[in-house]
Amino acid sequence: MYNVDAYLKSLTSNAVKLSKKVQDGIAENTRDFRFENQAHFLDTNDDKMREIRKNLDSRYEKEKLDGLKRLIAMISKGRDVSEFFPDVVKNVASNSLEVRKLVYIYILRYAEQEQDLALLSVNTFQKDLSDKNQLIRAMALRVMSGIRVPVISPIVMLGIKKCVTDLSPYVRKIAAHAIPKCYQLDPAQKDALLDIITTMLGDNSTFTIGSVLMAFNQVCPDRLDLIHPQYRKLCRMLVDMDEWGQITALDLLLRYSRTQFLNPIGKSTATTAARSKKEKSVAKSFYSDDDSDISHRSDESSDTSSDEDNNAVDLDLSFLLKCALPLLQSRNSQVVLSVAKLYMHLAPAEDSYKIGRPLVRLLRTHREIQYVVLNNIVAIASQRPYVFDQFYQHFFVRSTDPVFIRNLKLDILTLIATESNITFILRELQEYVKSSNKDLVTQAIQAIGRCASNIPEMAESCLGGLLNLSYSKSNSVVAESVVAIRRLLQQRPGDSVVMITQLTKALDEITEPLARANIFWLVGQYCSQLPTVAPDVLRKAAKSFCSESESSKLQVLTLGGKLVAQEGTLSRTINLLFQYVLNMARYDLDYNVRDRARFLRALVYGSQNGAAAATEQDVDDQESRPEEQRAVEGGLTEDVGGFEYSEKELNLSEHVKAILLSEKEAPVQENPSHGREQYKVGSMSLVLNRVVAGYEPLPDWPTTQPDPSVRRLAATMEAPGYMNDRTGFGSDSAYAQSRQGQGNSNMNSSGGMGSSRYDGQTGAYRGAETLDKFLESSEEESTDSDEDSSSESESESEESSAVEGSSDGDEEEEGSDEDEEEGDDDDEEEASSSEEEAILPTTVKRANGRK
Amino acid sequence: MIESLFVLSPTGKVIIEKHWHELIPRRVVDYFNDQVSKAMTAGEDITREDVLPIISSPKYQLINIYRDGLTYLSPVTKEVDPMMVFEFLHRIPDIMQEYFGQVSETVIKENFVTVYQLLEEMMDDGFPLTTEPNALKEIVPAPNILNKVITTMGASTSVSTRKMPNGMSNLPWRKAGVKYTSNEIFFDIVEEIDAIVDSTGKAVSCEAHGTILTNSRLSGMPDLTLSFVNPRLVDDCSFHSSVRFNKWESEKVLSFVPPDGHFRLMSYRVNLPSQQNLPIQVKPSINIGANGAKFDISVSLRNTEGKAVENVVLTLPLHKSTTTLTAHCNGGQYMFDPVAKVLRWDVGKIVPRERAPVLSGSFGFGTSSDAVANAGYNIGVEFVINSHSLSGLKVDVLKLFNESYKPYKGVRTMTKAGRYQVRA
Repeated sequence: MYNVDAYLKSLTSNAVKLSKKVQDGIAENTRDFRFENQAHFLDTNDDKMREIRKNLDSRYEKEKLDGLKRLIAMISKGRDVSEFFPDVVKNVASNSLEVRKLVYIYILRYAEQEQDLALLSVNTFQKDLSDKNQLIRAMALRVMSGIRVPVISPIVMLGIKKCVTDLSPYVRKIAAHAIPKCYQLDPAQKDALLDIITTMLGDNSTFTIGSVLMAFNQVCPDRLDLIHPQYRKLCRMLVDMDEWGQITALDLLLRYSRTQFLNPIGKSTATTAARSKKEKSVAKSFYSDDDSDISHRSDESSDTSSDEDNNAVDLDLSFLLKCALPLLQSRNSQVVLSVAKLYMHLAPAEDSYKIGRPLVRLLRTHREIQYVVLNNIVAIASQRPYVFDQFYQHFFVRSTDPVFIRNLKLDILTLIATESNITFILRELQEYVKSSNKDLVTQAIQAIGRCASNIPEMAESCLGGLLNLSYSKSNSVVAESVVAIRRLLQQRPGDSVVMITQLTKALDEITEPLARANIFWLVGQYCSQLPTVAPDVLRKAAKSFCSESESSKLQVLTLGGKLVAQEGTLSRTINLLFQYVLNMARYDLDYNVRDRARFLRALVYGSQNGAAAATEQDVDDQESRPEEQRAVEGGLTEDVGGFEYSEKELNLSEHVKAILLSEKEAPVQENPSHGREQYKVGSMSLVLNRVVAGYEPLPDWPTTQPDPSVRRLAATMEAPGYMNDRTGFGSDSAYAQSRQGQGNSNMNSSGGMGSSRYDGQTGAYRGAETLDKFLESSEEESTDSDEDSSSESESESEESSAVEGSSDGDEEEEGSDEDEEEGDDDDEEEASSSEEEAILPTTVKRANGRK
Repeated sequence: MIESLFVLSPTGKVIIEKHWHELIPRRVVDYFNDQVSKAMTAGEDITREDVLPIISSPKYQLINIYRDGLTYLSPVTKEVDPMMVFEFLHRIPDIMQEYFGQVSETVIKENFVTVYQLLEEMMDDGFPLTTEPNALKEIVPAPNILNKVITTMGASTSVSTRKMPNGMSNLPWRKAGVKYTSNEIFFDIVEEIDAIVDSTGKAVSCEAHGTILTNSRLSGMPDLTLSFVNPRLVDDCSFHSSVRFNKWESEKVLSFVPPDGHFRLMSYRVNLPSQQNLPIQVKPSINIGANGAKFDISVSLRNTEGKAVENVVLTLPLHKSTTTLTAHCNGGQYMFDPVAKVLRWDVGKIVPRERAPVLSGSFGFGTSSDAVANAGYNIGVEFVINSHSLSGLKVDVLKLFNESYKPYKGVRTMTKAGRYQVRA
């Protein structure tokens, strides 16, 4: 066996060598023909430019090709070559496809500038629409709809109409793509385009449907009523659509569901499980695995029972969630994210754990994709941290991570820290402090601080770790860790005494101004608990006052003021120390320090008028820590507000203790990524954390249950035959679909875009009106018609369900219904014209009512 | 909606400009280049990779990806799912890779006409249209040797007569009418280990991910079913769009009609036992003094089932203030890049039960400071183990339906280092 293998191997390697040799030889030859390389077209001088026109007029395709390639090279270089338009457009009917494709690229680029000349090409496109080759038909429609010349919109319209009924799903896909383009050319065509979209929504080809939904989103995103009969079909087709179609479909179904179902978020699926056994079995057959048609019986019973129990997740909604679940395994990261979006905004909160791992998986791809995923994880984790807490290892920072990835990972780590994983996360964060990257060190220390405040149980060990860091040799580490400690201590006054004593011991070694300022503030704030330490700190500070930084000086002053306020003016030493500091500050170079000294002197030792306090307050310091400033200011304004200004003699010193030593509000440690959760998952606004133009928030959940029966029509929804040419056996649900396709092949001959819609409705309605009549009425279509249908059908759900029973019956019943309709035709004619477009239940109900 | 694309050379010049919707003026590229250079001068450690993938300008959001030295820039005016844009932008170099074998400024310039044709087909009016390589190849012929011969030899006649292929298959990912004389399909199971190992040799985080790369050379429309001996080992899979999800859910088999040529059939996460021994152990010790440091790095094998580990490469980025380095090693070669301050040790092949390679030496700092002395180091590790799969995943049977021939099936396995780093 081995020998054979080896022999084969040598044989193949020989063959490879040989073919390589041949290739090399040929490549050598082709170089002579200058066909190897298209790059030479890029070096263009004026001589060559003159040649282009000659080339384009040439009889030989090869020369034309040369000319066109040169033109495209010019476009690539950013030069305006629109002057050649007349010469190029002549070639649009060339026999050579190569030539034509390049002509198309050129025309699409310049048609807008040369509108009149562009019209010359339209004739050829129209002819091509009837070509035998599907690719040529598709290409003709694509280019024609792509030349943005408003005059031709009726011709484009005709082209779309023609291609919508094409047998090739590829051509139909292109037709769907042309719809929004046509809409942009001429918004007045909207009604006609709406008709086409309605027809095309019935398309059962997974190849086409994604593009139809795209057109829907572009042209009439608000006509969600058109989706009712297609909802279940779309859910079923989801898994087989192409990846870009899946994205569009998920987006649409999310919007649809937000308007049609009650909010299940926060409800548990346990409620569903708790429902009666009978119902459960029904539900099971309803959503059985084989993707076959939805059976009516189960449908009705589920609807009636859901009326009884409004708390459960709507079955249609859970069907969508179930159908979307496999897409989490898509290789397209946007599809995965779209499913995550669906689950975040639609599913009960407890189901959201399902999206955790797939999202984490995306972290193994390109860094740009990681960037988006991490942003979304931040948003999700800030609402539901439990989705990601077990994946903490994946958010560990690697030395090769770009800055923006690194910062996001640190944010996530602090968000998802729990009691069970905090030890690992903390150990990891302390590892980052060793990094040579200053930025990372700072971020890591802040992250430790946030972890500690999020999980009070762990705060002690965090504080210990931070305290160790404050002895570090690196200044920035010291500064950051002291700041972090100060924030933590504010939240946990209980621990303060020991910690502050520790910090003051280190004061001699700490040189970083920010760190010193923070320690002074801490001592001052908690001086009542530090009767021995605090005066000593003030003594030391007074000694070194001249060499302190501005922010430290301000804090030393505050410390002195607080001590005096605490001890009263009785303690001589403290008073002397404070006055010494005040005197030093009086001659300081910095006006902030001077101001503060004056302010404190007046406040503590009483002054002529209290207004001083009010004015001083405006000139408050420019401290680097905003929350501190807020705290100080907050305390002041509050207390000052309590005084009565009418009193001339305002003795502030009586209140000095309340002013200076008021309880300071602990700072809230906000995650830097805070605020993202208010945006739609996956949106650009979320990533940038601000509203981007064109952002549309999700619709709010309805407060009352919209009529669930509107979707039931889907059961009998059938498309014209040409739309049923499903993807072959390659698809997931091929078998079920082929079965479905058999029944209605007889319909495809009826043609006409209008009739197919009617074919698509229930049997009861089919044949009720003649095709001509329908076409007439469709002209007068009005958008308000869907309103009454939905409101009516809501109240009439019982009746329409009765119709449901009859309509799905056999031929006999259909016949009788037909008679009914015909009999009523006369008196209906007037009223019907406006209501014609109303979806089925209304019409059938009317017919039924007369019965 | 993805409106336009600019492909920029490493120097920021426009190589390709394509507008699918309305024209976006070129000056947006100048703005972008300014922003990039501004961002890159903001800090000393900042490289092109650190530049944000979305940069806001007054009018546009400049969505960009950076790959192989080229920037693919897509300015958008309105809210759009950025992930979709990134996904699409990454498809462009993917497809160029498929067409031209490599992607670079020169390659794009040499094939710019083909690139424009591809871009035309991939996107229609701002919405992705055809992105499957197989389908694209039917519309835009790849510049393979055969096409070149035809165009060259019979240039005068065949250009005009070449017909467009009529048969588009129903499956967007597979061409119709594929024919091979010998029908073969090859599966490469590649597993990558991502790990962060601390200085004591303990894995702080460790994960393995596998991909099954497939090269299909089968005629007609084969419907394949691939089953594994031990499918339980895999977890959290993602599939090529040809794979039927439901079949995997219910029976744990891969049922699919393959595209023609190379594609990634499946990726998965390996369920590693809680105490997995890593195949390779790197023991670094770095003693930092006032003006320099002594270091000592050894590499030894563990748990490779007797297989040799190949292409072992260790990279140690040193502190920016490092000026001198002396070292010696008893295996492979080392190289110090004094500009990037990176020490790279190319160990080569390590055979089990042989002496473990050691690299030792010292380096000195130009300026000494406390921050330098306390900095930690990270060693990047690369290696490959052939015919070895960390998970032990084994292909069982390949069944073929819908065609009558019997295909040859080849399976190879390989384990290699993914993002593997050791802290010192």
